[in-house]
Amino acid sequence: MSDHQAIAARHAALPAFSPSVPAGLLPYLAFLLLTATFALAFYFSTLPKDKIPIREAAVASLASVLGGVGVVALFCTAGVYL
Amino acid sequence: MVPHWRRRLPLLLLSLLCPSFASAHSFENTAIVRTIDLGGSLVHVTTTYAVKALEDGAGVYTLALAERELKRTSWLEAKIKGQQNILAMESAGFDGESGVYLFSVELPETLRTNGTANLVVEAIETHATYPWPEEAGQKDGQSLKYETDLFVVSPYKTSVERIKIKSPSPNILSYSTPEGLDEFTMEIPVTKSGATITYGPFSNIPATADATFLKPKQKEVAVHYNYDHPVIEVTELKRSAEISHWGANLNIEDKIHLHNAGPKLKGHFSRLEHQASTFLGRMPPHVLPSLTLHLPPNIRSPYYYDLIGNVSTSHLRVGHLPAQQSSLLEVRPRYPLMGGWNYSFTLGWDSPLADYAGYDKSTGKYVIGVPLMTLVPGAVVGDAEVTIILPEGATDVDFFPPFTPIQSYVKTHVTYLDTVGRPAIILEYKDLTTKHAGTVYVMYKVPLSAHLKKPLAVATAFMGLFVLGFAVRRMDVRIQKK
Repeated sequence: MSDHQAIAARHAALPAFSPSVPAGLLPYLAFLLLTATFALAFYFSTLPKDKIPIREAAVASLASVLGGVGVVALFCTAGVYL
Repeated sequence: MVPHWRRRLPLLLLSLLCPSFASAHSFENTAIVRTIDLGGSLVHVTTTYAVKALEDGAGVYTLALAERELKRTSWLEAKIKGQQNILAMESAGFDGESGVYLFSVELPETLRTNGTANLVVEAIETHATYPWPEEAGQKDGQSLKYETDLFVVSPYKTSVERIKIKSPSPNILSYSTPEGLDEFTMEIPVTKSGATITYGPFSNIPATADATFLKPKQKEVAVHYNYDHPVIEVTELKRSAEISHWGANLNIEDKIHLHNAGPKLKGHFSRLEHQASTFLGRMPPHVLPSLTLHLPPNIRSPYYYDLIGNVSTSHLRVGHLPAQQSSLLEVRPRYPLMGGWNYSFTLGWDSPLADYAGYDKSTGKYVIGVPLMTLVPGAVVGDAEVTIILPEGATDVDFFPPFTPIQSYVKTHVTYLDTVGRPAIILEYKDLTTKHAGTVYVMYKVPLSAHLKKPLAVATAFMGLFVLGFAVRRMDVRIQKK
């Protein structure tokens, strides 16, 4: 069990875990990102139908990415820690 | 038994070199004192050996445990009296004829001829006591019986030996007086003083770890004593610790099956009688109305529910570091536990991950220490299964349990917003005692790409909806074309 003692000592000496996004910011991030997703989705619905849908694709991708991070932040805010 | 031994290769080689049943080195026990602290489901046995080496360079002492003793022992630890270091111990074989199991203990320093040392061996026995009488009415008392072999089993000669049995209350109903011990003592073999029964002193006992002594001369003693607290057993414990990097959170959930191992309830349960005894403050000793658990500090969002639903009869006082080292949770089961009754419930809480995990920049690995179990005071845990669920995409997983589990494996656990699933480490244990409350350390790596898998999965779902919208916008669903 000297292995165990060694890792226990190492664990005690390491800096504590800190998330890439501070946990306190998550509710606000969720709100902002999801509002942006909603706004962009609405904008997407008003776009003209082009032959080569570059604008539609761009808006859709941006809205998806923001929505993705927003939903993950929403889950964490609601207490379902992913 | 969950061994708490440090395995050392040299000892293994030594036992290969000396395969004979007799010990590796020659010692003599100048004195042995065994103290048995009786309890409910746990019995604490402390044996102090004053040993004298009979040859030069004696460094390995052999301990012996009889079959019943070994089956009941869940924790075995040897130290030198006054020192903190746990001595390395290894299994050294089994003698079929006498049914004795041997363990070699490595002394910190080899002894010269006639050199002495004081060895303190601590053992915790589980399932060693049983309620006697086996049934009791709601208002009756509770008494337990403990049976053990009298002489300490040892492969060396012993000059003087004393066995003390301490009961938790001075109310001892009966204890056995062994006969035929004239060979070892000229006085009365047993004396009782308050709550302590002393067998001995016995002199000039030969090596007891062989059949020529054990079969004819080993005596069995039994103590029947009153026990004033409920005898609690956790028959099954399932602990699940889920690590979340996005939420910086560690969720621990315990599924506990409680069993009152006291005398079975005779007759029916009278709520009226129970209310009366609660009101008068005179609860019978075998009834368990509530449980006090010590949870880690800084916890939030605790939940306590059972098969029926949420149980509101609990009170939590959260402890905040550094002033308080733990949070206190008073749990009141849905019904008071009478003798022989069971109650299963789920208890869980969230705690900040920073309290448990650290990040090693040099290797890029996270190290987390997860406590093995919640201590239910004085209880033995029959079957324990500890699951540690790592974040999705964790690689280079390495785990270090405090004691060797019976079985350990890694499987995939799928939960919310998972695409490929998360690695989950499962450790299985049996017969854990209050001394087994250690920490499991896990080392793992989570690359950024794995971390971003979740938002990407949700983004893909959103994109799918947008593509659908894109297609729907271009479909003409008018009934009449203009």
